[in-house]
Amino acid sequence: MDFLDLIDALQSLADGVLFGATYALLGIGFTLIFGVMHKINLSFAAASIGAAYASLLILAGVKAPPALVFLAAAGCGGVIGGLVYLIGFRFIPLANPLATLMSTVGLLLLIDEIIVHTTAGVPLNYPALFSDVIIRAGPFNLRGDLMFVFLLGCLCMVLLLMLLYRTRLGLATRAMSQQPVAAELCGISNTKVNILTFVTTGIVGGIAGAMIGAAIGMLSPLLSLPLTVKGLIVTVIGGLGSIPGAIIAGLLVGGLENLFQYWRGVSERDLYIMLLLFVFLVFRPGGLFAPATARD
Amino acid sequence: MDFYLGLIQIIGVHTLLGLSAYCVLHTGQVSLAQAGFFAVGAYVAGMLTVLAHWPIVPALLVAGVVAGSLACAVGFPALRVKGLMLVVATAAFGEAVRLFFFNFNYQLERGGFHIGPHGGEGFRQIRYFPEYGWSTLEVAAFIWVVVVLTMAALWWMDRSRAGAVLRAVGEDEVAAQSSGINVTVVKVSAMTVGGVIAGIGGGIFAHYTTHIEHIQFGIVLATFAVAYPILGGLSNVFGTLIAVIFIQGFLIEGLRFMGDWRNLLFGGLIVLAMNVRPRGLIDAGTITLVKRLVFRSKERASA
Repeated sequence: MDFLDLIDALQSLADGVLFGATYALLGIGFTLIFGVMHKINLSFAAASIGAAYASLLILAGVKAPPALVFLAAAGCGGVIGGLVYLIGFRFIPLANPLATLMSTVGLLLLIDEIIVHTTAGVPLNYPALFSDVIIRAGPFNLRGDLMFVFLLGCLCMVLLLMLLYRTRLGLATRAMSQQPVAAELCGISNTKVNILTFVTTGIVGGIAGAMIGAAIGMLSPLLSLPLTVKGLIVTVIGGLGSIPGAIIAGLLVGGLENLFQYWRGVSERDLYIMLLLFVFLVFRPGGLFAPATARD
Repeated sequence: MDFYLGLIQIIGVHTLLGLSAYCVLHTGQVSLAQAGFFAVGAYVAGMLTVLAHWPIVPALLVAGVVAGSLACAVGFPALRVKGLMLVVATAAFGEAVRLFFFNFNYQLERGGFHIGPHGGEGFRQIRYFPEYGWSTLEVAAFIWVVVVLTMAALWWMDRSRAGAVLRAVGEDEVAAQSSGINVTVVKVSAMTVGGVIAGIGGGIFAHYTTHIEHIQFGIVLATFAVAYPILGGLSNVFGTLIAVIFIQGFLIEGLRFMGDWRNLLFGGLIVLAMNVRPRGLIDAGTITLVKRLVFRSKERASA
């Protein structure tokens, strides 16, 4: 490997890490819901893409600056998150893990099909911000749109952590995830915390969906399944229920994915990410930041 | 008529896929790797009949053995984790298998044609059934013989000690362990049996479609595999069959007249079914009900 190869590899690594912010947000969404309810919400990535689509629909008629798209996506994400809870979780006995798994799969298919139905399956262009800005640092170029996505992702994570650790809602959420019975005895409503968690993760998901749209430049319903798999991988590598873990794992997976794409081509790229997951499962099954009492 | 025979074939193959997930679900584990084992079975059986000119039955058996041993090998590391971790690990394994076949090239030249798996283009011309002059009816009958044999074996297993052990692990792992059951062995065996069934099902699938490619074995198929037993209920093998008929026969083929709206209804009906019947379409209550009805009519007949 000569010098130019090294620079190219580093460049793809950097681009990947910047894009990895979206994976980190998706991972946070999965991890938060798992932390509070001990349930998997498989429809989360599809809902995020759906929120990005909805924001496009809302702003289609209005002549609005592209920055508003992100706000609209966050709002739609929150609404969709609440709906997902009502339809897929509220009326299903939580003692049966298989039932909610299946209902979220149904929701995943439903959201995908709603997207296909309203757009006739045609990919839509998504507005990127700062796509004409390119920051040069020595031999490296940092794309402005990716930088924006990365910074927005970081901002989201900081806000989310503040929500979790500085507000009463965050306190209630953390209490519910540690000891649901004790939390209920202290007067915290289980249903209320659950629905607020779904709305919060929905907002995060909506922003992630908009970021993905902005970074790739378009939206397609075909994105939701690969993103579901990536989000789950990030969740597991980071350690279930761990938010810092999801962040670091997201950036790691994003960076490595782009690096493998540079080395081995796009068709083999995901194969190595799966292998990475298996390496983690064998040598560190609890993930990067497994909670001390991690027991399923 | 051929349309209905084709539908019967599809239902048969998907029942095998669902039953393979049913074995694993009994131990309380959700495995999204079944589509991967299905793919391995499809490619192995296809290569054996096309490239090595084996007859179909030994090819299917070998496909089952290969997929089963792979399941066993995957089972050991993957079953160290459970719950969500296992879902993700097996989903990743399934995707890895799919991506392997996406990059898999093994072609031989026969009479000026290249035959065999060809990467992203898939594996064409698995023409065992047409070459040996099997009619659609015969193929459908062959598939259903396999399905009935599998269902009978699983039905028997459910009633034997093995089934009780599987259920014990599924209901409460700690309790099962403390009554002297080796949980790892049980889980890995269930995974292996599931792998064998999925491999045989995949082999049949390859032969009746005559063309397979990697995209058919994606995460959607894996989800369907676990969806059948969950939707149908885990209390017995007929739940899976009913769910396959419900999904393949009613939701996919029966609602074709609805055009575009069918796909929308598909996800919606699954969500609705889970809201209304969270323990599956056929649960323990349904069985009691059916038994009571049957016995009451018998009593009336005798009285």
